[in-house]
Amino acid sequence: MAMKYLDKYPRSTAKTLWVLKPLWSTIKLFSKTVVRRPVTIQYPYEKEWLPDNYRGRPGLRFDMCVGCGVCARACPTGCIKMIEVPDDDGKMVMRPEIFLGRCAFCGYCAEFCPTNAMTVTPEYELAEFYKKNLFWGPRRLNFEDTTPEMEVHYEVTLQSDIDAGNPERRVHVFDVDNPVVKEDACIGCRKCEKVCPVGAVTMIEKGLNERGKPKLVPVFDHDKCICCEQCVIDCPKSCIHIEEAL
Amino acid sequence: MVVENTIDTFDAPPEERISRERFETDQMWIYMGPQHPFSHGLWTLKIKVDGEIVTDAEPVIGYLHRGWEKEAENRTYPKIIPMADRLCYSASMTYTHLYCMTVEKALGIEAPDKAKYIRVVADEICRIQSHLMWLAAMGTDLGNLTIFLWAMREREYWLDLNVRLCGQRMTTNYPRIGGVRNDTTELFDRDVLRVTELFEKRLWDIIDMIDDSSIYVSRMKNIGCLTREQCANLGLTGPAMRGCGLDFDLRRDMPYSKYAEMDFEVPVLQDGDAYARYRVRIEEMFQSCLIIKQAMRKIKALGKNAPYRVKVPSKVPAGRTFCKLEDPRGESMMYLVSDGTDKPYRLKVRAPLFTNLSASKPMVKGCRVADVPVVMAMIDVCMGESDR
Repeated sequence: MAMKYLDKYPRSTAKTLWVLKPLWSTIKLFSKTVVRRPVTIQYPYEKEWLPDNYRGRPGLRFDMCVGCGVCARACPTGCIKMIEVPDDDGKMVMRPEIFLGRCAFCGYCAEFCPTNAMTVTPEYELAEFYKKNLFWGPRRLNFEDTTPEMEVHYEVTLQSDIDAGNPERRVHVFDVDNPVVKEDACIGCRKCEKVCPVGAVTMIEKGLNERGKPKLVPVFDHDKCICCEQCVIDCPKSCIHIEEAL
Repeated sequence: MVVENTIDTFDAPPEERISRERFETDQMWIYMGPQHPFSHGLWTLKIKVDGEIVTDAEPVIGYLHRGWEKEAENRTYPKIIPMADRLCYSASMTYTHLYCMTVEKALGIEAPDKAKYIRVVADEICRIQSHLMWLAAMGTDLGNLTIFLWAMREREYWLDLNVRLCGQRMTTNYPRIGGVRNDTTELFDRDVLRVTELFEKRLWDIIDMIDDSSIYVSRMKNIGCLTREQCANLGLTGPAMRGCGLDFDLRRDMPYSKYAEMDFEVPVLQDGDAYARYRVRIEEMFQSCLIIKQAMRKIKALGKNAPYRVKVPSKVPAGRTFCKLEDPRGESMMYLVSDGTDKPYRLKVRAPLFTNLSASKPMVKGCRVADVPVVMAMIDVCMGESDR
């Protein structure tokens, strides 16, 4: 394979015709642009077409969100805060609120959302006159024309699957990870049951503690669990950890 | 070629010449920057001038220091990827690629084949748009505003490809530890080859504009000269080094990702002046187009269902990892010290521009003041990565 440009240039002075050749090429382009459509877009009046996967501000589908807080923990700038808002029935639920003044538009919240409630939206005109207007609550984050292409899927393949010769993509990656409890350290405080956003934790009586009384330990429903790590963070004895499948 | 800084060249009668030789003039320090049309980014080039001739120079950086490395120590590994984008706005894809490669090496895992090919395509798109950004900046430094507009127009096509690939123009946040963020979209598969072919035609217009014009060529020739020895001692890398006659490219000589399977040439020129560095970069854009075409063919052969991202553990085992990659501006390297937690203990970035800037003194010495912007444009200054 040869060089494309270095083989042709530099040319001899006779061929380059001093500055006449570049002058000719500008005249050529000028005559072309006179008849053709301009490249420039008259921005406020006409806008460029954007694909659906364009990463503008984050969008939230309120009803699909379970309030697990994965987006708040995945956010690299810490602009997402979980706040308590009433849902359609008046019940108080946890939903993300985003301070767009700090948002880096990285799309992590949409990528790591276990229920795909968070999406990316092609909305980019977000300037405001007051800082308070940059706080986008969960209702305001709703984007009407959300299409399936705006969801970001966290699709991974397990290394063990590739080694076994079956490289299938796990669309819902959180199915493969599981929370595991160290039962001898657990004090049965029911904290994990309370904080679980999807109700995957049930407390059962299992064995006796050192005082001879029955002991409560959590049991995780792996079909319901979205692996949000909320129980891991809130456990007072730090006896829950996520077992990663690789 | 160094212009001799003597006053013998004056065309004066002998008796007057003698009096002028005794006439000692003061030299003067001039601060070019931090806000100066020639400095692309916030930095200062202190130059010492004797009349019109530059006799000494000293780059001063630090105006854009953001504490990047310290900040990286307080974040988990995936959260550093968007930060690595912001190291250099026009080479964001290569820096995220480098960071992901470093962590993968520390973890001892390999990205799937498809991810590696996609990364090669993304890297070359990044290289072309970075070189076009340089071409636009260089055009204004030479006083050629047409080049600025033309190069920026071509660059938009490549940025549109980035939007089709991952949804963002510049801060792409696309490579991930263990693969890439998403598979190539249908729009991207369709457009990348069309843009590549269109660009290969359109680039000749720009070349006609510069290379056939004796005005611009004469401004670039024989200034900012470095010998091969100087270049090696100063630690220059990238197109600035290859314009000096040192034949080394990490993509060919220490291939990472899938560059070993790609068929391309590394342009090397022996002249060592600003014009040679310009020519190396233009040829690199053509070679990048070739690599994109080959890699897209390989991605197509792998099929739509091939894996592109493997799952990685959140904690990195303790150890020291070192990784390097060919950036549009030179060799960028990362050194990771991990301590078994989900945050790095230390992450050191070796930016190519930091080293290349130190060559500014031997490059501009002997030039005229008007040549300084042209000489410094040829190392493609980007302050985000050198100050960090």
